[in-house]
Amino acid sequence: MKNKPPLNQFLLKHGWEAPKHAFIWLVLLFAFFPLYMILNISLKTNEQFFNNPLTPTAPYEWGNWLFGWEQISGSVYVTIFIAFTATFLNLCVSICAAYFFGRYKVPGSNFLFLLFLMQMFIPGVVNLIPLFSLLKDLHLLGTFSGVIIPATASAQVVAIYLLRNFIEDIPQDLFDSAQIDGAGDLRQILHIVIPMCTPIIMTAAILDFINHWNDFVLPLVVLGKEELYPIGVKLYQLDGVH
Amino acid sequence: MKQVSFKQLKYHWRACLFVLPSLCLLLTFAYFPAWGAIYYSFFNWDGGYVKEFIGFDNYKRAFSDPYVHHGYYIVSILVVANLFKMIPSIATAVAIHRLRSAKFGYFYRVLFVIPLIIPAIVMILIWKYFFDPNFGILNAFLDFTHLMDLLVYIDGIFHWGVFLESTSPAWLSRQELIIPALIIWGFPWVGTIGVLIYLSGLSSISDDIYDAAKIDGTGPIRTFWNIELPLILTQVRINLILMIIGTIKEYGLTLVLLGNTGGPGGAGLVPGLYMFRKAFYDKETEMGYACALGIIMFLIILMLTYVNQKYVRVDK
Repeated sequence: MKNKPPLNQFLLKHGWEAPKHAFIWLVLLFAFFPLYMILNISLKTNEQFFNNPLTPTAPYEWGNWLFGWEQISGSVYVTIFIAFTATFLNLCVSICAAYFFGRYKVPGSNFLFLLFLMQMFIPGVVNLIPLFSLLKDLHLLGTFSGVIIPATASAQVVAIYLLRNFIEDIPQDLFDSAQIDGAGDLRQILHIVIPMCTPIIMTAAILDFINHWNDFVLPLVVLGKEELYPIGVKLYQLDGVH
Repeated sequence: MKQVSFKQLKYHWRACLFVLPSLCLLLTFAYFPAWGAIYYSFFNWDGGYVKEFIGFDNYKRAFSDPYVHHGYYIVSILVVANLFKMIPSIATAVAIHRLRSAKFGYFYRVLFVIPLIIPAIVMILIWKYFFDPNFGILNAFLDFTHLMDLLVYIDGIFHWGVFLESTSPAWLSRQELIIPALIIWGFPWVGTIGVLIYLSGLSSISDDIYDAAKIDGTGPIRTFWNIELPLILTQVRINLILMIIGTIKEYGLTLVLLGNTGGPGGAGLVPGLYMFRKAFYDKETEMGYACALGIIMFLIILMLTYVNQKYVRVDK
């Protein structure tokens, strides 16, 4: 039998809920404000913007979006290409390496893993200058490979770290039975590791993709030519022009 | 996991091939340049073919360089500020975690991921506009809430000469205001990824502990200090280490907000930016000196990480 709770019991039960919701909404309000401003300003002419920057004003200037797209469409394609290729390459190498670390413990594999983890402590700025001259010697300056390969080299560490734990958790029996059926390591990766680890692989892929999407300094330094700039660098440059 | 001893290695050598692509990439594009940085730091080198061995002169110069001193002074202020800027993330995570309805918790979690789609560079550019003296939101907000009057009043006491009656402070072009601007940046300082990490830690606290606390009659604040904070210290420490490393390495933010000079009088010239400038922007590039600056930064990060590991203890 259900009784309707009296008011004081309701308050006792839910009274502390309202401030929590209010606090979260307040934080969300500030967190979404930049997004709102981007959408808002993007629909204004300069004049409308100077008169009233805060609230939306009719008529909306959808032409801005067209103009903007004309300006950056090239670099959007470049960024998509770089981010997809780098993420794909990263997944290929890091699934293989994580498979090795997750399944076998050979002498020295702990040291190797430590070597991978240590990479996170080297600040990217320290590496930038020698990397620049290394890429110059390899004739990779001004090419997409010059961005994709070094970016993969540093991004793989996080992916390997994430994937290793999950591969370790796959039951050993599965691998054993596959081996009895005559499956080699590559087959075990394709038919056991990838299907079993799809969620974490997708998480790693998304994290990696966002990283490449935001990457700013490496493309700025490596890709000297304007028509090759990905979106981050392009927007930085446009900020100076308009 | 399969234990493979040294003798069995000849049956399992194929498995070792799988780590090779990663290892090659790592050694070539991470460790070889790092080694190069150490090597070049002993040379007077402008990035060309000629270089001259000068021993520790680059390091000696760095220790007496006023720009370097100023850079690390700014960074230490920013690290302390960022320490306080971790609080909103923790508070938000705790608020979401304590919600009774799981549905709302999930809903807010999704909402917090959405601002992540804004590319980092766009976020910095929009803040650059917020700081604008005439059209910026920050000044409009301060005027609207009359906080500006308060600032003018405080200025009158301390004679900063920064906030004056009926003028709009130019946050990014006044030498005195650059550090406050770098601190205000990113308000309300709720890092999405940080919140998610804290939430994963909070959700692993078992209900028994909460029940026990309830029986003892602990209030919401004591619950936080005595239960939640100690039990998510692991996550706090991860974020702390990442924050310190990130703050010291950071130069993209200052590069975009203040340009490659680091603002008027180089007030915002953080070490990373100074190094970046020495290597790529200055008329006479000094790659060797920049490498030495990088090595110093690496040593500082390594030291701080070590101190962090050793003294910020997690007792469970």
